[in-house]
Amino acid sequence: MATALARADFKVETSTRSLGYNLPQRMGRLLWFPMFLMALMFFGAGMALGIARANEISDGGAADTIVTLQHVQAGLMFLGFVSVFSAVSFAIARILGQFRAGGGEVQAAAGRTVQTLKMPGTAKVFLMLMLVAMMTIVVASILHFVFAADIENTPASLADAEDRFVVLEGVRRIGTAIFLFAILLGLATIIRVLRFQAVRMRELPDEATTH
Amino acid sequence: MTALAELVRRRPPEADPTRKLRVRNVAIAVGLAGVALVTVALVGNILVASGDAAADNLFWTFGLSITGFGTVKLGIALVLTGIIVRLWMRVDAVRAALPRLKADAEPQGDVQYGNIETPYGKGTLTEKAPGLLPPQAMARIMWKPMIVMGPMLVLLGLVLSLATTGADDPDTSQALWAWTQGTLFLGEAMLLSGISFLLGTILAGLREGGGEVQESLGLVVKTLRMPTSAKVFLVFMFTGLMLGIAQFVLYGIAAYVDDPATWFAWLGPLRELSLGILLSGIVLALFTIGTVLGFQHWRIRQIIETGR
Repeated sequence: MATALARADFKVETSTRSLGYNLPQRMGRLLWFPMFLMALMFFGAGMALGIARANEISDGGAADTIVTLQHVQAGLMFLGFVSVFSAVSFAIARILGQFRAGGGEVQAAAGRTVQTLKMPGTAKVFLMLMLVAMMTIVVASILHFVFAADIENTPASLADAEDRFVVLEGVRRIGTAIFLFAILLGLATIIRVLRFQAVRMRELPDEATTH
Repeated sequence: MTALAELVRRRPPEADPTRKLRVRNVAIAVGLAGVALVTVALVGNILVASGDAAADNLFWTFGLSITGFGTVKLGIALVLTGIIVRLWMRVDAVRAALPRLKADAEPQGDVQYGNIETPYGKGTLTEKAPGLLPPQAMARIMWKPMIVMGPMLVLLGLVLSLATTGADDPDTSQALWAWTQGTLFLGEAMLLSGISFLLGTILAGLREGGGEVQESLGLVVKTLRMPTSAKVFLVFMFTGLMLGIAQFVLYGIAAYVDDPATWFAWLGPLRELSLGILLSGIVLALFTIGTVLGFQHWRIRQIIETGR
């Protein structure tokens, strides 16, 4: 069982054994690879549709087909980006898990009280922003598919499709920027964890063994 | 370049590990600035779609969005430099603490050097710390020019996007728009390559630091061999960067062709594919770092428990 310990420099929990991985870290270990594979699939599909659309334009294809392909291609490509950003985030969570579980095991092996850093604020904001960004891009991509199904070969419908594309493009981009910022915060958390490990490692030899 | 090298300089072993790194807060501020730029571009897009602004404003909103992405990526690169500095402080802490934590053990008699199996994959057992792998040595050099050239190209692309917005002549507009896209995405590809090289530098530090600690204790040196994920990371990174350069050259051709719409239709996905492949490589580099960290914790535990 873990108990909270008041330290001036870090918020930690104490225990006699390593606390292992927390839920986001377990998810990270499990999900990084499926997300990585999905990203590769979506990127390939997006590229193929881009070539198909270029062929339509070159052959003087119907305007509604060309605009429909534009929407579907953008939707697929950004599902690829949301997958790869998720894979990056899960891989960062896996690294944080290695520090949490491995750091605890080292302290336990030395027979000292195991101190585990509580989840820092940057890690909490990282998780929150990751979810916000993921939902933003996924919803924008789904709307691309919904609008693509709605396109007719009339000037009014084509103009509507163009306007919708412009707005969704902006929404996808803000989702991407937020995802990148979430990743930055995830990496910033690693700096804090490394600082804690360096401080804790130097403390260990002067502490009495507890088990 | 010297200032960049200074960012990742190893602090002296007696440096205070409790001191906070300023680069972390600077990186977060840079990242927020990037998000703000993309937000401004989103407002521009909404105004164009609602008919309150002319369609040619979409050129600068595109340039500003990609500049925003580049700014956040620069922030990520700064965070990675902070991680490198902190990793070395962790190496010094482990080196200082382990002699007093490890179990007393007689020196090992007959040691079989060569390949070993570890819970984290194949490794090697050597008397001295092995040197860096060639890609790691290259990463230590290459991240700096990439992190300098990437933002420069992105800024040039932003200027080109502003020039495209004001261009009246269709031929000039086509040429400027093509160069805008090619330049911006080459800059983005270089920034992501710089981030990849920084991750390679982290892997180099883990390998070098791990060997240094074991050797300083007079122990045999156990090192993980290059994992498959690291090899595939290299393939992805170079493929992504090559595609980034290729799209730039192809946009240069598309600037002067008769049917630019056809070219832009497939070059758009191609430039995104190049970034997607670079990002996929980054996933694998992060996975490799996680694996190496797991190995390091296992090895520290082994030294504490067995003294060998």
